[in-house]
Amino acid sequence: MSRVALALALLALGLGALAVYLHGERGRLRRRLDAAGDELQRMQAAFGRFAPGAVVDRIVARGRPSDAERREVTVLFADLFGFTALSESLPPEALVALLNDYFGHMSRVIEQHRGQVAKFIGDGLMALFGAHEPNPWQANDAAHAALAMQRALGDFNAERAARGVPTLRVGIGIHAGPAVAGVLGSQALMEFTVIGRTVNLAARVERLTRTHDAAVLVTDAVRAQLDPRFRLELMPATAVRGVAEPVATWAVMGFDARGVTT
Amino acid sequence: MPALDDVEWEACLLEPVRNAPVERALRKALGTVPPGLRYFLDSAWWMDAAVALDLVHIPLLHLDPNLAEMVALVVSQDSACRYCFNMTRGVLGILGFSEARTRQLEELSTELDVTERAALQFARRVSRATPLVDAAEAAPLRALGWSDAAVKELVALTAVNVFFNRAATLPALPYEDATRLFESPLMRLAAPLLRRFVRARRARQPVPLTAAEREGPFAPFVNTLDGLPVAPRVRIAIDACLRGSSLGRRATALVFAVVGRGMGCPVSEGEATRLLLADGMPAADVDAALAHFTAPSLTPLERAAAALARDAIWPQPARLQRQARDVQPLFTRTQFVDLIGTAALANLVCRLSAAMALDA
Repeated sequence: MSRVALALALLALGLGALAVYLHGERGRLRRRLDAAGDELQRMQAAFGRFAPGAVVDRIVARGRPSDAERREVTVLFADLFGFTALSESLPPEALVALLNDYFGHMSRVIEQHRGQVAKFIGDGLMALFGAHEPNPWQANDAAHAALAMQRALGDFNAERAARGVPTLRVGIGIHAGPAVAGVLGSQALMEFTVIGRTVNLAARVERLTRTHDAAVLVTDAVRAQLDPRFRLELMPATAVRGVAEPVATWAVMGFDARGVTT
Repeated sequence: MPALDDVEWEACLLEPVRNAPVERALRKALGTVPPGLRYFLDSAWWMDAAVALDLVHIPLLHLDPNLAEMVALVVSQDSACRYCFNMTRGVLGILGFSEARTRQLEELSTELDVTERAALQFARRVSRATPLVDAAEAAPLRALGWSDAAVKELVALTAVNVFFNRAATLPALPYEDATRLFESPLMRLAAPLLRRFVRARRARQPVPLTAAEREGPFAPFVNTLDGLPVAPRVRIAIDACLRGSSLGRRATALVFAVVGRGMGCPVSEGEATRLLLADGMPAADVDAALAHFTAPSLTPLERAAAALARDAIWPQPARLQRQARDVQPLFTRTQFVDLIGTAALANLVCRLSAAMALDA
């Protein structure tokens, strides 16, 4: 009898231990699932900075890039003047630190003006306005961003000049029009970007800043949407690669905040 | 609360105020003074609108009250409104939602019931609203047997949530308030009572609009909800805003027009433009104001209101709050509170276009 009682007691003890173990396992599993959920949310939040929320949702739901869409966007290209020569005179770590510092300043300004930096290309960058959300004021936002970038670079340079290190000069080109927006790339590297003639012309206009010795250039398509308080100067129409007709551009000289639209 | 922890949120731009007569009126109408409303008590129209649109008091004709709270969570999350998100999480806790269940909602998990998931996904689209929702997007709900009236109630509920989200986000109401509120022992004691109250908000029959309620600015947005208990409440809020805002009717209409333009909602922009023209603003000035937020006849206050209104469209709290802080000195306290309410209401109205799309 006592052996049976002992066996039952041992069985009960074993079952109890198993229950405790399973409970612990379930808790651990729950915590792991929660952690995975947190991680997924963090990924979505992080990716959400680079792609529209709806795009992120579709990617998460389908596990693959979403459909592309045609949108009206304003594209801003910024590129440093004479940076190749400067880069050859700097040690690699100083070069990378300089670029990261510069990109940090420019990115903040672009985000403050409702734009998104789409990519860094060497010492240049491409920013988009109206690509994430439809934005009827995107041309004004881009032009304000360009002027603010030049001001921010002025402050950046003043601090560098005080330290006796080389200063930077940037040319900015802006064009607006239809473009195809979507997530491009492979499983290993994806990015939300826009492609098309509008993007190509914006890049060409940025190159024209050297030709016209202008800090900020915009095309007619941008000018047509701009607040009349922007001070503009017409530049000579210039042939650019990939465009049949010479391209007229306008240098953005400033903005009269106290002026009133008429 | 993992979902919105990363959302940048400025210090609150307003102090709560005391207003004994208004507080008495709120207690009479709502049974309490909701903590978020304490920041807006100095605006009379705001209180009329807040009472009319109080989410706990809008009777539901088609939607389950639990689903209504789930919608509130998803919309606050999508609006990145930390204040409303914490509040709604607290309410869900009172309603008996477990942490695991709440997380399923936040993630729109595939473990959710098919109807719940479809409804919440649709609510998120209505909340986001750029581009505006079209009728085809209601197809999954229609396929699940939802009537158009039920979908419209979902649209309206989402839009009302967006109203409160924007109103809380713009002045950066302190989200810690919500956490503290629902952690208080008093709230735990009152939980069973609140649970019964929230679940009792059923409407027994349709509430047709009266002839008078069918008239007035933004009528298409109100009339599309005819029969739903929320419809006359939206009418009250719009009328209260246009009649009572200390910004004046012109600045108020301008805010509506800017939000309509930004959201690509021609009906709202058109309604607001008619008000601006009726108030004597030259057509050229309306065009310039909507294109560039300035025109010869605009006052500095109107320019600032228009510029801020555009940033209230997109759920980017920190940017909106910094913009609001920059322009705040141009306004009296009451004007600033009224600007917050007006921008929030303009966002509500545009989102109702998803209900109008079902009539097309």
